[in-house]
Amino acid sequence: MMLSRADNSLLGRWWWTVDRWTLVAVLTLVFFGYVMMMAASPAVAQHIRVSRDIFLLKQVVFLCAAMSVMFTVSLLSPRGVRRVALAGCALALLLTAMTLVTGTEIKGARRWLSLPGMSMQPSEFLKPFFAVVAAWLIAQGRRETNWALRLSWPALALGMAALIALLLTLQKDMGMLAVLMGVLIVQFFVSGVHFAFIGAAMGGVGVAAWLAYLSLDHVRRRVDKFLDPAAGDTFQVDLAAKAFGSGGVFGRGPGEGRVKDFIPDSHADFVFAVAGEEFGLIVCLVIVLLFAFIALRGLLRMLPEHDLYVVLAATGLASGFGMQAFINLGSTLHLIPTKGMTLPFVSYGGSSALAVGLGIGLLLALTRRRMHGDST
Amino acid sequence: MTGPSRGTSAPNPSSVAHRFGAAPADAVPRTEHVRVTAPDLDRRAGMERTRGRIVLVAGGFALLFTAVVGKLVDATVINPVKPRIEVQARKPDPQPAPAQPGMQATPATAAIVPPPSATDFGPRVKRAAITDRNGEPLALSLPYADLYANPQIVYDVDEVVAKLRGVLPKLDAANLKRQLTQQDKQFVYLARRITTREQLQINALGIPGIDFEFAENRRYPLGTVAAQVLGGVDIDGNGQAGAEKFFDERLRTDRAALRLSIDVRVQAVVRDELSKSMAAFNAIGGTGIVMDVRTGEMLAMVSLPDYDANQFRRATDEQRFNRAISGRYEPGSTFKLQTAAMALDSGAATLWSSWDASSPIHYGRFTISDFEGKKRALSFPEFLAYSSNIAAAKVALAVGPERQRSWHQRMGMMAPVPIELPETFKTLTPPVANWKDIATMTIGFGHGISVTPLHVVRATAAIANSGILVRPTILARDPDAAPPQGERIMTQQTSDTMRRLMRLIVSDGFGKSAEVPGYFIGGKTGTAEKSGRGGYKKKANIQAFTSVFPMQAPRYAVYFMLDEAKANASTFGYATAGWVAAPGAGRVVARIGPMLGLLPETTNAPAIAQSLAIPLVPGRPPGAAPAASPPAARPATPPAPRPQAGQPPANPAPAVAPRPAPPPQPRDPRQEAAPAPAPGGTVVAVR
Repeated sequence: MMLSRADNSLLGRWWWTVDRWTLVAVLTLVFFGYVMMMAASPAVAQHIRVSRDIFLLKQVVFLCAAMSVMFTVSLLSPRGVRRVALAGCALALLLTAMTLVTGTEIKGARRWLSLPGMSMQPSEFLKPFFAVVAAWLIAQGRRETNWALRLSWPALALGMAALIALLLTLQKDMGMLAVLMGVLIVQFFVSGVHFAFIGAAMGGVGVAAWLAYLSLDHVRRRVDKFLDPAAGDTFQVDLAAKAFGSGGVFGRGPGEGRVKDFIPDSHADFVFAVAGEEFGLIVCLVIVLLFAFIALRGLLRMLPEHDLYVVLAATGLASGFGMQAFINLGSTLHLIPTKGMTLPFVSYGGSSALAVGLGIGLLLALTRRRMHGDST
Repeated sequence: MTGPSRGTSAPNPSSVAHRFGAAPADAVPRTEHVRVTAPDLDRRAGMERTRGRIVLVAGGFALLFTAVVGKLVDATVINPVKPRIEVQARKPDPQPAPAQPGMQATPATAAIVPPPSATDFGPRVKRAAITDRNGEPLALSLPYADLYANPQIVYDVDEVVAKLRGVLPKLDAANLKRQLTQQDKQFVYLARRITTREQLQINALGIPGIDFEFAENRRYPLGTVAAQVLGGVDIDGNGQAGAEKFFDERLRTDRAALRLSIDVRVQAVVRDELSKSMAAFNAIGGTGIVMDVRTGEMLAMVSLPDYDANQFRRATDEQRFNRAISGRYEPGSTFKLQTAAMALDSGAATLWSSWDASSPIHYGRFTISDFEGKKRALSFPEFLAYSSNIAAAKVALAVGPERQRSWHQRMGMMAPVPIELPETFKTLTPPVANWKDIATMTIGFGHGISVTPLHVVRATAAIANSGILVRPTILARDPDAAPPQGERIMTQQTSDTMRRLMRLIVSDGFGKSAEVPGYFIGGKTGTAEKSGRGGYKKKANIQAFTSVFPMQAPRYAVYFMLDEAKANASTFGYATAGWVAAPGAGRVVARIGPMLGLLPETTNAPAIAQSLAIPLVPGRPPGAAPAASPPAARPATPPAPRPQAGQPPANPAPAVAPRPAPPPQPRDPRQEAAPAPAPGGTVVAVR
């Protein structure tokens, strides 16, 4: 990119202030995602009954769209980020509520809205938007000198969180709920809330998880399976273990995977297993380190930042991204109970790619280098 | 240092400075001195805390991703799960080994070890094979494949149809085309159970969308041979009867072939003779057993009618019924061997005792009479040779209910036979309270008790096998292993005397028709009326012959039984065991002897015959104590020996034998009867 440092255009300022390391990491992940889709496509095309070319084309379109969204959003100023997030959060909440009424049922859950050419999961978009909105509300509270106002802003964030929790519980989307609540807890933690409150919140999450285990069949089944693999059908997890086992250090080679033919979700939640079998430990390590790099760099870049809103929003986005990656990798590797969650940029899927692109776009916008006095 | 602006119009940042929390109007010109307010200090302290916590969060994520990396290394390198073979099921199947040549010409007693491939069809087959003692396959699981297609993948249907019909001409082209053009289906069967060769050829065509489904099929290459012993499996390959059921777990978990003690050649001979006899005497069923008396191994266990084990699911209950272990019959006169052995062993009778059998016994409403009775006093050997019920009842009474019951208990008559088959049955015996004199008398000649044929075989074998009862088994033993430990039921002396008495029955008694020169068969006939509704059925008999050969060194027990055999011209109207069952047993011995490595004894025959000879009316040795006093219920018979002169003494020890039995030790008077008969006693010579 031939942009002069003196270039004062929108693009020029973007190029010299954006976090290019993160950008490179994201583009590398997108590249791996594309390769994985090529690997998984023959089996998947048969599985979801579309031709392989259509399948790949769709994913290319999704990834391009996601990159465009990411780039566009990353041009925003922190204030622009806040405005977009407020509007987006309201819209996503509305659409999420709508899925309960008009949603498409896929695999026993009602989370999707049918759009031409794709089905959209609005709660995916709720995640980045709410992280920004919650950050703003918490930071806003800190500016107040009146104690009542000081408490009411974060209380508003908690109220929204309660509403979202209700919606996601009705959708039985415990994974998404866990990430959203985890992000909120991280944000409160970073904002400096006393450890006692964080402990209480964690306890609350624990109780909620226990209740979910008791009352929701699919949650109990998965946890039971994790604790006692002999008890139930651990088909996908067992196959994933075999995929990693047969892949070894260097993998069986591109296209040589066998397990992908047997795992129904090889293109989505279990794509990492395909990577493990065909490309082996080394490529998998690169992928894991890329995720860790993006999440940790997003967090650590906030150390010199003075604006609490920016700090909280960026930590929320970065930890949301990191948690999603961890849950997917952990499920696939049988480190935690199976939880359906896509691997950002790598798994197949339109709304997932767009939502993750949006989230990283927001993160890039907030981590751009700003001169003091740049308006937020 | 400036605070963040909250105002709508941002003043030139270089000229004014806002105090944190102050109104825009309170902006002061920027000076070199910065006034730091308390809220500002708070904010700065808060941001410091925030930075610390960001580091903590980052550390947390670092830990999580470290865990992922650790698990990843574990799953790929340290502890990898290797894909099982089923994932690689497309590799070519091992070709089945060529069929074993028929009968092996090697010595029959030596186990023939087959090449391992004869029963091993590779890892695709999960259930272990079953072989006979010589490795001849009895049950095999053969891999097979079903051919199916995914019509959504198949393109150029006409070409695919042509290619497939090149390998499988039996497929109908029009039907195939219709199946392959069903675009709404992803799975259609094209052909079932194709051969391995066809499968390889189709695989080599490399047609996309055509694939195979693998399964295994339980086959019994010898069909009816040992059908009830093997049992059978259901459609999913689970054992449902016989060894398939008893050893179901073993056959699933251990792929090594299960070697049974059955010898298919012996089994085939027994089945052949049994079915011939059944046809000749119009019997409704029959059973034949050949058992090694030393080890308890079953060499043959036949029950007719039987079924083709490949058609197990279509077999009737009657066909599946294994008479040898599930059929409970009154043993009839075959039990007189038990009565005689327990009388001799307990001292209740001696070889020179005699009983009045001139008139039937009337006891309450029972009348015990003899078939073709001699109507006179009978010696102990005569009681067995002529199968006298009257004498048997009196001998049993002399033994007494307690001793008789305890004997049968030890002989295993009160429990199912301990053999490795699920179809064994409890026997029917009188309760202790009813086991009084009358029960004792009827059990003495084998009525009032129901046991399975294998009970009789086992007890007969124990009498011949030095008095040691062994546990019957259908599993082949290692020939080099130590012989199994059995329970001694009677003394060696009793067994030796009984061997000569059993031989006497065949050489000179009702069992004559079983005689095969050179094999020295000893045994006992038994004809029992079948009990039906309302009592015994006169015309429906169980005809059995239980025997052991060769008597000078017993090796095999042979049992031959017909169910409701009818008389024909060749038997002169008789349908007793001596006429219908004993000849079959003799033919079995004649045919299986050479297979089992026992050739008819010709050179030493006279010496062996002499060693086994026993006088029909033995004299009491001088100085021997009289027999225990008989019960008062029967007329006392003077046990005085009839002196006869000019008779050579019977030799207690076999002069020549493959495995000489230990000679009886003259420890007490009753055992001295045989070695030293009174001069002039009638000695029955073997023909």
